[in-house]
Amino acid sequence: MKVIKVDPEKCTQCHACDLWCGIEIGSEKKELNDAIHEKPQPVPRVYVEGNNFPLHCRHCEVAPCIDACPNGTMRRDPATGLVYVYEPTCIACWMCVMVCPFGIIAPSPSIHVAVKCDRCRNMEYPICVDVCPTKALALEEREEGATWYGYAPKRSY
Amino acid sequence: MDFVQRKTADSVVDHFLKEAAEKEIPLVWDRYEGSLPQCGFCETGLNCRDCLQGPCVSHPFKDQNKVGICGKDKDILAVHSFVRLVVQGTMGYLDQLADFAKDVEAGKGSPKRKQETTKLIKDIQGMWGDGSTDVMKKFPKALIDGWKAAGIYPDGMASALFKVSQKLDGGVGNVEETLLWAFKGALMGCAAQMLQGRLKTAVFGDTAPTNVEVNLGVLPKDQPVVLLYGHFSPFLKQKIADAAKGKKIKVMGVCTDPFVPPYYFAPVTNYGSQEIPLMTGAVDLIVTGDQCVNPSLAELAKVWKVEVVPTEVLNRKDVSSFAKEIIGMAQEAFKARGEVARDIPNIKESGVMGFSAKDIHADKVVKALSDGKIKGIAILAGCNNVKFTQDQEIVSLARELLKKDIFCVSEGCASVGLAKFGLLNPKQRDASCGKGLSALLASLGKNVPAVIDLGSCENSGVTDFLLDMANLGKKPIKEFPIVACFPEANRTKAVARAAWTVAMGIPTYFWPFLPVTGSQKTIESLSGFCEEKFGAKLHVITEKMDYIKKAELLVKSLKKA
Repeated sequence: MKVIKVDPEKCTQCHACDLWCGIEIGSEKKELNDAIHEKPQPVPRVYVEGNNFPLHCRHCEVAPCIDACPNGTMRRDPATGLVYVYEPTCIACWMCVMVCPFGIIAPSPSIHVAVKCDRCRNMEYPICVDVCPTKALALEEREEGATWYGYAPKRSY
Repeated sequence: MDFVQRKTADSVVDHFLKEAAEKEIPLVWDRYEGSLPQCGFCETGLNCRDCLQGPCVSHPFKDQNKVGICGKDKDILAVHSFVRLVVQGTMGYLDQLADFAKDVEAGKGSPKRKQETTKLIKDIQGMWGDGSTDVMKKFPKALIDGWKAAGIYPDGMASALFKVSQKLDGGVGNVEETLLWAFKGALMGCAAQMLQGRLKTAVFGDTAPTNVEVNLGVLPKDQPVVLLYGHFSPFLKQKIADAAKGKKIKVMGVCTDPFVPPYYFAPVTNYGSQEIPLMTGAVDLIVTGDQCVNPSLAELAKVWKVEVVPTEVLNRKDVSSFAKEIIGMAQEAFKARGEVARDIPNIKESGVMGFSAKDIHADKVVKALSDGKIKGIAILAGCNNVKFTQDQEIVSLARELLKKDIFCVSEGCASVGLAKFGLLNPKQRDASCGKGLSALLASLGKNVPAVIDLGSCENSGVTDFLLDMANLGKKPIKEFPIVACFPEANRTKAVARAAWTVAMGIPTYFWPFLPVTGSQKTIESLSGFCEEKFGAKLHVITEKMDYIKKAELLVKSLKKA
């Protein structure tokens, strides 16, 4: 499964990724000069955190958000393994927001859905990876069994 | 900004783009593509680096960093982005003037009209000091009174330039007042341009409309060639031409004033393709100023073994000996470059350049307006910008306007772009112009082309023409159907130029859009507030449109005569 790999040494915290995520995915108008004035304010799905780390959804192998979602809105695409929000059935209960260990799900009261990175699953290429000026973000195959990419607790059964 | 598929409309440049790609030599277009997408914060003006607590942005999508650390909100950040450009652009005009005036004051050269020169030097000193100049008094009284009432009549370098720059440092202000400060700074640039144009004619004599040839085909194959790039003292240019005379050395120019009477420096190309002449192999030495000169020329020069001589250095030599040294170096370089292949496409175009306001009978233009023979006047300025297909915007726009009987005048490197495509060629005039416009142009003289070049940005041909119109038409400038357009604007000088054009009451269209779009308030103030104060808007248009739509916009904005 392809995931977004971050190289923190190359990230300059320029915020290009979250700006363009907000424009390309979060906004209605999809153009810079229109999206920045849109109401409700577009919500980017990537967070430039701490010391140079753009944080996206990890698409965990065992996803707490899918477990917590009461009505099956949070689901996994069987073909790609990506976790995404099926917006029509979201009841804005924010269970997923509370339970995500990475904190990357945002409640959006204005549009009544939970908002989360879906690795641009309906696009050819994730926008953040495309715009990153230092190539700190890359699209790569997830290594087998690599727990660094996701939340995969050791189970004893 | 977007990827541009077709880099240039100039086929000569295309020829070399292929060579550069094969040889893996990066040109301006490659560097532009490597920079995409450009920073959205800077493009929309929502950024600031005026202190060390930053750099700050106003993030449109995050609530925690919407306002700069010192408190500049998105409206102020955007208007400051505009102010920064205007200040730098104004200093460009002041720098050109200062260089020239300093040499004249030091007694260089023998001015053709001594009394006029002395008066102008006194005026220039007044401009630096408390701003009292005779040249600004040439504007109609109503316009001056309006500027004084708004508080923006330039009253000296300190209060018009230093103070406007300090607006960027902080203070409590609003968008509208900050904009007025920017216009005050820009008007100093206007005064500087007018003084420089007049000083040039007083010292060297008048420029007459001259038959010129432009584009790479003018480069000779078997003579030493010196190319003058950018802006530097006209005295140095004169001395270089003096030293070259009789030695069969060709002195030509790129992005520089082509006329220093009695000399003329053929414009080999314009801003967007300034790197290309070096690739012909025909250029032996380039003399570079600072303004409008790409630093990449130094790297390119190495590949084709071209000598590079910068003029704006710390320890400046005496002009005459410097010029002789340059010519000596050019001759040496020519001998050393014998085996460098020459690849000079045989493409050039004729044109007539070097009109000044006195060569246009403004009374005929005023009459043609009132008779309805022409529908309005368009001022074309700006140069090239890699964000557009080179020359396409300005040439196509000009052709649309000419067809609709709009009298077009051009300034600076815009003229060179138009010349490359025959719009300054009198023979192509009637084919490109509407009937009414053709008739007017034919009545202005024997050899008048479709678009009239009123001089480089070191002359105030356009402003002088507008002042003549206002005088003869007995109307304020803002009541004439005039529109200004920068179709491929680039340098900060263009932003200052646009600002003072609006201050004169002329609606101005500027592409690419100014970096103020992050603030609706700033966009609206550049429209509504400027219309209220000056009678004209500075248009910020983000909508993508082709040149036909742009031409329609320009025509619609022309008020009824």
